[in-house]
Amino acid sequence: MRISIENFTKSFGDTTVIEDMSLEIGDGEMLALLGPSGCGKSTTLFAICGIHRMNAGRLLFGDADVTEVSSQKRNVGVVFQNYALYPHMNVYENIAFPLKVRKESRAEVDRKVQEIADLVHIGELLQRRPVQLSGGQQQRVALARALIRKPDILLLDEPLANLDAKLRLEMRSEIRRIQLATGITAVLVTHDQVEAMSMCDRIAIMDKGRIVQLSTPKDMYENPSSAFVAGFLGNPPIAFLEGTVADGGFRLANSRVTLPVPSGIELPGDGAPIRFGVRPEFFQPGNPLKVSGKVSFVEIQGREELYDVTLENGAVLRSIQAQSAGFRLGEDVSWGIAQDKVLAFGPDGNRL
Amino acid sequence: MRRAHLLGLGFLSPALAIILMLFLIPVLLTVMFSFTNMSTATGISGGAYEINAASLRKLSDAGAQESFVETLGKEAFVVDDAGITAAAAAYGEQFANEVGSQMLGERFDSRRDLERAFRKLKSRPRSTRDIKKAADLFKRSVLNVRFETAGGLLDAVTGNGIEMTPDQQELLTKTIYTGWTWTSDNFALMAQIPYVWRVAGNTLMYVVLTLAASVGLGLFLAITTFYLPSGTATTFRAIWFFPRILPNVIFVLMWKWLAWDTGFLSSLLGNFGVPPRNWMLDTGANAWVFIVLINGIVGASLGMILFGSAIKSIPQSMLHASEVDGASRWQQIRYIILPQLRWPIMFICAYSTLSLLTSFEYILLSTDGGPGGATEVWSLMAFHTALDNYAGNLQYGLGAAMALMLVIVGILASLVYLRIFNFNDLVAKPRIEQ
Ligand SMILES: Nc1ncnc2c1ncn2[C@@H]1O[C@H](COP(=O)(O)OP(=O)(O)OP(=O)(O)O)[C@@H](O)[C@H]1O
Ligand SMILES: [Mg+2]
Repeated sequence: MRISIENFTKSFGDTTVIEDMSLEIGDGEMLALLGPSGCGKSTTLFAICGIHRMNAGRLLFGDADVTEVSSQKRNVGVVFQNYALYPHMNVYENIAFPLKVRKESRAEVDRKVQEIADLVHIGELLQRRPVQLSGGQQQRVALARALIRKPDILLLDEPLANLDAKLRLEMRSEIRRIQLATGITAVLVTHDQVEAMSMCDRIAIMDKGRIVQLSTPKDMYENPSSAFVAGFLGNPPIAFLEGTVADGGFRLANSRVTLPVPSGIELPGDGAPIRFGVRPEFFQPGNPLKVSGKVSFVEIQGREELYDVTLENGAVLRSIQAQSAGFRLGEDVSWGIAQDKVLAFGPDGNRL
Repeated sequence: MRRAHLLGLGFLSPALAIILMLFLIPVLLTVMFSFTNMSTATGISGGAYEINAASLRKLSDAGAQESFVETLGKEAFVVDDAGITAAAAAYGEQFANEVGSQMLGERFDSRRDLERAFRKLKSRPRSTRDIKKAADLFKRSVLNVRFETAGGLLDAVTGNGIEMTPDQQELLTKTIYTGWTWTSDNFALMAQIPYVWRVAGNTLMYVVLTLAASVGLGLFLAITTFYLPSGTATTFRAIWFFPRILPNVIFVLMWKWLAWDTGFLSSLLGNFGVPPRNWMLDTGANAWVFIVLINGIVGASLGMILFGSAIKSIPQSMLHASEVDGASRWQQIRYIILPQLRWPIMFICAYSTLSLLTSFEYILLSTDGGPGGATEVWSLMAFHTALDNYAGNLQYGLGAAMALMLVIVGILASLVYLRIFNFNDLVAKPRIEQ
């Protein structure tokens, strides 16, 4: 089911948390709401499921205006950040709860619980209490409870935040599998960019209550609209070089080094401050546009090695390289930037 | 013992002293009193032995043979050494010696008989008046004489020539003793009085109804204030907490004013032609309604606070989850909130049963057990019996025995509750969070 948020505003008392947000989520799409803590992701989610009333704006599910519909009647499944399982009920009762309040017949409930439990692989845990489950199992129960009454929309509020790294990886594909299998429209709230990029069709990056960019993961990674977006996506993160425009080139701050500017970028006038963003994979020993500096940090990650190189002016560039490169801390190096991959940002942080 | 242990003991000692003084000693005294027949009549210090009209009546009530009682009550004339000495002083040695040698130890039921015997003596006084007077010197009676010990009494009675079997002796000393004695009769007595059984029934009713009222009302208030905006809720809670901080007397006085035949209810209903009456003491049923309301409202405030804070500790997200799961307000209360209040509810029930069993101040102040004992509960009965008796004879012993039953029931109930709750468990694990 398609979700349209139109001019949504939400404030708590005097503080406006979300201002005039509009967002369209397609039928069967999985969208990530990505942003730093406190930017209003959960607030948006709670507005979609009806826990929070909107102060202004409209919310449409398909063609139906649900702005004034109570959360009980919206038919939205929600997985909460802490799962919010009912501790006094066992797994079966937890999953069956949405059906129980609708007074469905026993046989029907039995059948549906079994079906959904098999889908999320917890068929043999039905008699346990939530406390007797691992984090990942609790997470599946919460998912099953959200899905059991075949909701039109599935909302997930940082569902993987409490899991360990391995489990998180597993559940990522698991949730995506289930979403694809059920064809449900889903919104995933997260502040983990890897999660957003790997699970979702599109990403909406939020900052201070506004959506700053809405795009597919690949497009957003390659074409961030601002330094904020560029800094948010990518791990290890992009490195920024401060500088000014000089003679149609980029003069590093506190330095005599001037770098050529990639073609197709409209530069402001001479002397204007700009920033270059260089992703670690585009700062490699083999590239032609050399800059020199000293290796100031080495991190061996097994398959890859991560280096920080401090330039003469104090700026830091990151590089990620295949293992066996074998540079050492303190070594003087002269590596190159892939010129056409450089991202340039104006003084306001917007992409040039 | 290590110093840390001593320190612990030091910190504990005020508590131990309080337990000792406010619990153990009173309980021990209650046990002690309950095995005596202490009352206003016996006093609480020692007593004495005295045969008088009242004690003779008691004796025959206690089943002594009529002839025995009659003999004790009658005066007799006994020729003994004391009489002979007195006669010697009044009427000369000769007469005394003659009486001594011929009649010593003889007993006469009336003065006439003794006079007749005197007239047979040679050295008797001449005038009839002197003979009468001489006979009076031999008049002996145990009536209206106080004896400090049972031995003194028995000696005096036998000295009067009254023969007693050991059974009679025991019956006599036991019955006419005016002080208190050790006895276990109180318990048998309690079981025999039908009124006591009625009071036991009242007590059960009181505890069950008041508990239901206070838990029900407490739950209702806790849940409704939970859904109110916080400012309104706080005001509401403060109002409902008022009865608990109000002095009991004033609180009950307000109820009385509500119920008096010139009070609020009567005045209000007077407008509709209902004749004024004391609504509280009019009938037993009315009295019960008021008792349950008064106690229930006071109890509800505690429940409200406890249940309220328990509800607040339910994670918000759980309530949100139930809403998006489609649960209506009622279903949310029924399936999410109430199950998580199980422990607080059980705790209040346990705690209130114990305190209701022993507390009677609101009943004392409002109906005082009336009308006609309809709302008399066990603790109030113990109080009435021991300390505030209509008849004026305060039966400390019986009252203590009644109180002892409460202590026993209370301790048994506590043990049961400790088992149910498994308090260690309760302390170890929070029951609300997962
Ligand atoms: N009930 C509330 N009352 C007042 N302010 C609130 C309330 N709920 C949220 N806020 C504020 O709204 C802002 C957005 O909150 P929100 O929970 O949406 O953040 P978030 O993006 O989900 O952050 P996180 O990633 O930490 O969960 C925050 O600044 C928060 O302080
Ligand atoms: Mg959040």
